[in-house]
Amino acid sequence: MAGEKAHPNYVAVWFWLVGLMVASVAISLFHFSESATVVVIFTIAVVKAVLVALNFMHLRFERLLIYSLAIVPLLLFFILTAVLFPDIASH
Amino acid sequence: MSQTHAIESRTDTLTGTGIPSGRLGVWWFLASEIILFGGLIGTFILFRHGNPEWVAAAEHLSLTIGTINTFVLLTSSLTIVMAFAAVDKGDSRRMRTWLFLTILLGFVFLGIKAFEWSTEIGAGFIPSTGGFWSFYYAMTGLHALHVMAGIVINTILFISAVLDRLKPHEYRIELAGLYWHFVDIVWIFLFPLLYLA
Repeated sequence: MAGEKAHPNYVAVWFWLVGLMVASVAISLFHFSESATVVVIFTIAVVKAVLVALNFMHLRFERLLIYSLAIVPLLLFFILTAVLFPDIASH
Repeated sequence: MSQTHAIESRTDTLTGTGIPSGRLGVWWFLASEIILFGGLIGTFILFRHGNPEWVAAAEHLSLTIGTINTFVLLTSSLTIVMAFAAVDKGDSRRMRTWLFLTILLGFVFLGIKAFEWSTEIGAGFIPSTGGFWSFYYAMTGLHALHVMAGIVINTILFISAVLDRLKPHEYRIELAGLYWHFVDIVWIFLFPLLYLA
C-alpha cells in the first residue's frame, strides 16, 4: 500500500529516541571531563531532534521552502548566540 | 509524491508553492517559535557559561523526574504520529484512540511537572532564588504553556472526531502533530540544558 510505504517506521524511531535518552542520562552520570560530557549529550540531543523532525514531522518528504523555514531561524539563533558569546560569557 | 502530500491535497487548499496552506502556515508559526525559544535558550547558554556556580543549583533538580517526563513526551510524539498514520489508513477509531493517548500523556507530563515545581518551591527554590532558577522557571514554564496549548488543540480535534465532525478536516491531525513534535523537540534540548549539563 502506498500509504504504508510513505510512512517511516515510527515505533523504531521511538525506540531510537528512548535509547538515546537513556544513553545521554548514563553519560551524564559517569564523571568524564565536563567538556566531553557536554559535547556528547548535546550531540545526542541534536540527533534526537533531527530524528523527530525528519520522521515524525515528515521533514524528509518536504520541499526546500519548508526546510528553509526550519533552518533560517536556527541559523539566526546560532549567529545571535555566537556573536554575544565573547561579550557576555566572559564577564 | 509522498502519501502525506496526497492526503492534504485532497482536503486542504494548496498554496502557490504547491504546499498545502495549513502545513505551510504551521511551519511559518514554528519558525517564529524557534526564535522565541531560541532567544531564551541562547541567553541561558551564555549566562550558564558565565556562571559556573549554576552547576550547584542544577544539582537540586531531580534527574529521575526529568527523565520520566522526557520519556512521557517522546512517547506522546509517537502516539500523535500514530494518530496521523491511522488517518492515512482511514481508521478513525484508531485515530481517536491514539489522539486520546496523546492528550492523556500531555496531562501526565504537566502533572509530573507540577509535582516537580511544587517540590522545588517547597524546598525554597523560587525564581528570585538566583539566576539559574529564574531561567529554569521561565523556560520550563513557557514550555508547559505550550504543552497546555497542544492539549487544548488535541482535545478540540478529539471532540470533533467523537462528534463525527472531523471527517473532512482529518488532515488537521498532522498540523496538530507538527506543533506537538516541535514542543517535544524544545524539551529534547531543555532536558540536557537543565538536568544533564
